[in-house]
Amino acid sequence: MKNKWEESLATLSVGQQFAQKVKDDARKDKIRRYAPLILLIIMTMIGAVSQKDFFTWGNVVNIMYQMSIPLVISVGLTYVLLLGSIDLSIEGVMGFAGSFVAFLVVNNSNSNDFGLLGIIAVVLISTLIGAVTGFIHVKARIATFIVTYAVGSIMTGVAVLVYQGTPIQVKDELFIVLSQGKLLGIPYITIIAFLIFIAGALILNYTAFGRAVYAIGDNETAAASTGINIGLTKIKVFALCGCTAGMAGILQCIRLKLGQSSIGLNQMFPVVTAIVIGGGSLAGGKGGALSAFVGVLIYTELANWLTLMGVDPYVKKVIQGVIIIVAVALTINRTRKTISK
Amino acid sequence: MGELLFEAKGVGKTYGANTVLHDIDMHIYGGEVIGLIGENGAGKSTLMKLISGVEKPSMGEMFLQGKPYSASSILDANHQGIGMVFQEQSLVGNLTIAQNIYLGREKEYATCGFVNWKKMNQDAKKALSRIDMDLDPAKRVRDIDFAARQMVEIAKVLDVVTESANGHAIILLDEPTTVLSDEEIQKLFVQVRNMKEQGNAVIFISHRLDEVLEITDRIYVFKDGEETAVMPTKGADVNLLYEKMVGRATTGEFYVESKQTVPTEEVILEVEDLSLFGAFNHVSFQLRKGEILGLCGVEGSGKEDICAVLVGDAAPTAGKIKIKGKECTFPNPCAARKKGILSVPKERRDEGMIGMMSIEDNIVISHMDALSKHSFLSAKKTRRVAEDWVKKAGVKCFSINERINQLSGGNAQKVIFARALESGCGILILNHPTRGVDVGSKEEIYSLIREMTAAGNSIILLGDTLDECIGLSSRIIVLRDGLIRGSFDCPVGDKPLQLDIVQKMM
Repeated sequence: MKNKWEESLATLSVGQQFAQKVKDDARKDKIRRYAPLILLIIMTMIGAVSQKDFFTWGNVVNIMYQMSIPLVISVGLTYVLLLGSIDLSIEGVMGFAGSFVAFLVVNNSNSNDFGLLGIIAVVLISTLIGAVTGFIHVKARIATFIVTYAVGSIMTGVAVLVYQGTPIQVKDELFIVLSQGKLLGIPYITIIAFLIFIAGALILNYTAFGRAVYAIGDNETAAASTGINIGLTKIKVFALCGCTAGMAGILQCIRLKLGQSSIGLNQMFPVVTAIVIGGGSLAGGKGGALSAFVGVLIYTELANWLTLMGVDPYVKKVIQGVIIIVAVALTINRTRKTISK
Repeated sequence: MGELLFEAKGVGKTYGANTVLHDIDMHIYGGEVIGLIGENGAGKSTLMKLISGVEKPSMGEMFLQGKPYSASSILDANHQGIGMVFQEQSLVGNLTIAQNIYLGREKEYATCGFVNWKKMNQDAKKALSRIDMDLDPAKRVRDIDFAARQMVEIAKVLDVVTESANGHAIILLDEPTTVLSDEEIQKLFVQVRNMKEQGNAVIFISHRLDEVLEITDRIYVFKDGEETAVMPTKGADVNLLYEKMVGRATTGEFYVESKQTVPTEEVILEVEDLSLFGAFNHVSFQLRKGEILGLCGVEGSGKEDICAVLVGDAAPTAGKIKIKGKECTFPNPCAARKKGILSVPKERRDEGMIGMMSIEDNIVISHMDALSKHSFLSAKKTRRVAEDWVKKAGVKCFSINERINQLSGGNAQKVIFARALESGCGILILNHPTRGVDVGSKEEIYSLIREMTAAGNSIILLGDTLDECIGLSSRIIVLRDGLIRGSFDCPVGDKPLQLDIVQKMM
């Protein structure tokens, strides 16, 4: 194949060629940025054509409900991945938050009745756990992969200790209302999840803290030289991720009306994958709230569609894997000189 | 003069209709060091690529020892006796020195695919001793300093070319001194002279004209892809070279001395008996409002460490830092910024710019607290601030939303200057502000620096060259081995001589 630049070599000066290249890069960047969205639209169209139940209001609400908890997890995780870090403690913190909140509200195993206060307390504790994780990472300079794995392990253990081996059933009126109530046909859980997501997106896009997260993710040394407080920003990010993981755990507990450590199980990696599908990068500095949203939506829609199609669960796993690879291959920048790790 | 090793006749390179190198005639004799100078984009690197086999000329002929010469690759050129030491270091950090020297040539040491490391190390030792380097070849490259790496690189190239063309090899050195201290440069020069005495030819490219004048026998000057002058080094001087390179003489005008401010009496920063264990001791000085204070010294003299302490990258062992009379300590650069000290770091790409972010974000990032309301950034304010600075600093770009890594070095540096000025910090530490910037942008940056001081900022300058330091500063402090050795006032029209300062430095 002839190189597409070859013809313009004769007509443009090197300066003009460079300008052209910069423009072309910007254009490709744009395409790459919109690739996940285009993928989402194509998938929706295929879904709508292949399954008449797919594009109904009922199923749309269903998809929104299914993506609620992944979306809440994605809020904090987006920040963490933007830093180029990872938070493996999410599942443990979720399990702990779900178990502990079940312990604090009206339940079948003790006489506690802290209600909303209990929920707030658990959110605060989860935030604190995240902050401590971040603090250890920053001060002891332990890689996040290790610190968060360890904290996750600790919290999973603590969760089981909270309910002494027998999962607690929630009897609280508030939980029952939240789990069953709807507004305009949309479950409360979904509405809460979307509100949390919007708050996370606003903070990321419109605050100095959000800019700092992007800057650190792209080039930490340079960010330090600009006078950004690197350590504090990182601690805040992990606190925020702990906070949203805690909220996700509570929502899961509301949904199941059951507090046990396993409610966090297998919740994190699908969201990491979804964020990457949406255009985020594990190396940091790339992605954002909206791209995380698109990624989570693609992931949920795909699972929903495959179920509607009546695909065998194991075949479903295979198809999901293939589509993840294709989706990421479409959005990634391959002109980079090094193959990303 | 030795035998004629290499000859270029009417060599040129075009990309389409665009000529980047035109009608170059060049003669290289054995036992000669040739200097190659010119602004960025003058065609030096292109010529080097043609000679070293990276690219092919579009016109003209080249001869090696009288025979027509062409090389299909760097390796092919190596086999014919031409080797190039690249500007961007081409060593692999996690391999050993020996493995690097014989990278791509391991076959000579392998039996059944297994490499005899011992033999390779022995040969590497020999290759290193050829340039008087006593390094353990089993050491990993990432564990040795930049200067040693540069020497390993030279040893590597020398080893390849001497194997094929002992005594009449041609070695191309592309800006080998950028990462070296003055002392190390002298060591390098000893090796260059050695190579020369053995009958080899060396082509030496450098931005530092004083070095070119010191080491070379003849100088080729390039401008806009053409050869503007060839002259014997004897009889040439810096001003003449500048004239041939840029068509204008550099005098005080170059450093905009007419705008040098007379420092006021107001002391902004006072450093008292400051020490950092193992780096510098008992450093005291005062920085006045509107003053440029130059710190001079060779690498390792402690000047970099003083800056590190002042921006909060290192905690001092003893001593006081006072800002406007108040004693301060800063645990990190963020705290330093809040007290009014910000730096423009030395390595722009690695330490200065946040490549994936826009010009706008890069400008406002050090001043976000002030541009926010209830911790939310005001998009209107940030855009206006960025647009103002782009205009004021003369950044050439399509829009402020463009990513900073799409800008040229000089333009990116202007963005970083804009950031420093926008930060509201009154004390700016400029660490090699014109490193890797072409002469045109340099002049604009010098103007920016003058405007900074005119606006009442105070500057601590670590100049890229001594000349720059003298030209810009209103006062100079000279450091050697971590102690202050001298201090010079540099008023306009009565600047100290380089020689006087160098005597205190060395």
